[in-house]
Amino acid sequence: MKLKDSGVLAIACREIGRMVSRPLYGLSMILAPLFCYIFFTTLMKEGLPQELPAGVVDEDNSSVSRNILRNLDAYQQTAIVRQYSSFADAREAMQRGEIYGFFHIPRGLEHDASSQNQPQIAIYTNSTYLIPSSLLYRDMKTMAVMASAGVGRQVLIARGAGEDQAMGFLQPIKMDMHALGNPYLNYSVYLSNTLLPAILVLLVLMITCFSIHTEGKDGTAAQWMDMAGGSVLKAVSGKLLPQTLLFSLMALVYLVILYCILGFPHENGIWPMALASFLLILSSQGFAVFIASAIPSLRWSLSLCTLWGVLSIPISGFSFPVMGMPDALQALSYLFPLRYYFLIYVDQALNGIQFFYSAWFYVALVLFMLMPLTDIWLLKKTAYKYTYLE
Amino acid sequence: MGNLLAVCGAEIKKAVSDAGVLVFFLVVPLLYPLLYAYLYGREVVREVPVVVVDDCRSAMSREFLRKSDATPDLRIISYCSDMEEARDLMHRHKAYGLIYIPSEFQETLNDGRQATVSLYCDMSGLLYYKALLSGCTMVSLDMNRDIQMERLGGLTAQQMEVQTMPVDNEYVTMFNPANGFQGFLIPAVLILVLQQTMVLGVSMLAGTEYEKRRKGQLALGPQYGNPLTVLCGKALAYLTVYFAVSAYVLCLVPCMFHMPQLWQPSTLLSFITPFLLASVFFSITLSSLVRDRESCFLLFVFVSVPLIFMSGISWPTSNMPAVWRYLAQLFPSTHAVNGFCRIGTSGALLRDVMPEYTRLWLLAGAYFMTALALCIRRYRSARMPEQAGTVQKSVSSM
Repeated sequence: MKLKDSGVLAIACREIGRMVSRPLYGLSMILAPLFCYIFFTTLMKEGLPQELPAGVVDEDNSSVSRNILRNLDAYQQTAIVRQYSSFADAREAMQRGEIYGFFHIPRGLEHDASSQNQPQIAIYTNSTYLIPSSLLYRDMKTMAVMASAGVGRQVLIARGAGEDQAMGFLQPIKMDMHALGNPYLNYSVYLSNTLLPAILVLLVLMITCFSIHTEGKDGTAAQWMDMAGGSVLKAVSGKLLPQTLLFSLMALVYLVILYCILGFPHENGIWPMALASFLLILSSQGFAVFIASAIPSLRWSLSLCTLWGVLSIPISGFSFPVMGMPDALQALSYLFPLRYYFLIYVDQALNGIQFFYSAWFYVALVLFMLMPLTDIWLLKKTAYKYTYLE
Repeated sequence: MGNLLAVCGAEIKKAVSDAGVLVFFLVVPLLYPLLYAYLYGREVVREVPVVVVDDCRSAMSREFLRKSDATPDLRIISYCSDMEEARDLMHRHKAYGLIYIPSEFQETLNDGRQATVSLYCDMSGLLYYKALLSGCTMVSLDMNRDIQMERLGGLTAQQMEVQTMPVDNEYVTMFNPANGFQGFLIPAVLILVLQQTMVLGVSMLAGTEYEKRRKGQLALGPQYGNPLTVLCGKALAYLTVYFAVSAYVLCLVPCMFHMPQLWQPSTLLSFITPFLLASVFFSITLSSLVRDRESCFLLFVFVSVPLIFMSGISWPTSNMPAVWRYLAQLFPSTHAVNGFCRIGTSGALLRDVMPEYTRLWLLAGAYFMTALALCIRRYRSARMPEQAGTVQKSVSSM
């Protein structure tokens, strides 16, 4: 096939030339996502934080209290790093950020427990650090309950009850929790699965918008349109084609990292997620073209795309659920491609349910892709009489 | 000194007359924290929709479900006849949890043995897990007490307590009373907004200046002759703007959303000074990478996401791989987030945040040196375009 100096392919080649000529493209299309992929997956490689630093204030200093502390330290998530002599000392250590929480055992614990005076163990955590504080709380609470149950069980067994009966009395109803799809509460599964695509979406939105409007700024927009024979659709598809390919490759990289190397849950195989990732890129490009056509200014359209990309991270609901947000924002969440990607991920990778449950989410992504069809003709007008607005 | 003030004045004038820079210096810091606080305003999720499969259909099982429905954490949306139906509702995202009560539930309890209630939770959000577990645990503790009371018979409530719970425990969530998202994420977002908008705005100003000088549209006056003066003048301009912006972002925003504010003015002021200084010189250093107005978006925006994780507010610092822990030290935001969290929400004094405070001063010093070096490179040729004679009259209608 001969390369012509007009048509989609020629524009694509021209775009590759533009991309190679500026290190900015390589930095933000290849290095930035790669850095983030490596950063997030290695940052949380433990899955669930282990050995979180905690402190104790043991005012009792009896064999019972020492036993409790030894057991607490044996928990995987808790590491007792120091004993403090008073509550005030421990609180200050928490303020200095040395520990995330501490366990307070009052004076006379052993004596009060055996004489049935119901002493109280207190758990303090620094909840400005939500994850470590919740995990420490879980261990400390279990320990406190076990300490109590241990005393109670001993009393009952001493009175002649069997193990079965003792537990049946101390805890008649027991909860049996099943965390579907992520039984170890792996934080990396919970966060990386959406954070990596989110970074890519942000960059796709910005690059698409930037590359379209720099034509105007550089004064090459008219030439670009002429190459497409005045067809704005051809012009844009030629321009975005190399970007689509490169971004798809970057999406493939995160798919391989998440599902092949780290082996995160992908119950229905990798293909539904590969399709979703590809559509995610196309839909983000579609959205960016829509914005770039509607707003004929590099800075304003780029600002809006950036805002959309950054906002899509919290509003996709992967960390704080959408149902907990104010109603206005719940409605707004429908306008973010990443939201649909997240829903597909939950269905197809995490829960592994049939395809038809997520079909509409795929359709939504396709609709984002088609958005430019409504206003792309505006872009042609902009291209021929572009005025660069600072 | 006169030159310094002239540079500072010119820089402020440029910033004020440039809508793009104003967006970063004023609009984003003004609105973005409000948006985040609004987003996480409810702190936790309440009334998580759950479905129920009750194979027991006894008085006890109904009591358990009624009480679960009454907790603030859960809301039962449907009683399903079998697991298949319940699963379908969960797959349609109508429910995020499933409570299953086995057929022998009441019988087991009447026998005095331990009965099990199974909970299944959708793991698309950890908050669903938390709500389901804490809601049902609360109900089971409550019912357990009633059952024990019945079995023991004739005891006072006090005696009961001691009998079933020989050692009591209490939980105090310090510094984030609602134990929710707002109290945990917002302080970090506030600091990050300050640093990142400064980087973006300063880069945009620098990019514009570079572009204009390259095109020969901008001649620099004699006050740009000394790089040290230029650097200090610019830094003074940004500092002035950001002291005002910080007052709003760090004091007013938390106040508007009723977040814990235990700081003392002198502590906050002395802590924020090295942070702003470090951020200013950090921004000027980074801005030398920028060759035009718009590339700052592509280069610096995405960095905010790793930065928030580097601060250790989400994933604990103690569990980060060493390489990221060291890298995190290079960013003013890391130290400022940790310091501000403790000063603002836990009432720490300057001596409690000494390590962060010292490191911020060190960073300020280090970035001052790099910024100065880069300024010398950039402004050594300050009057070069004039000598080349290609300069049109400086257009100051930025």
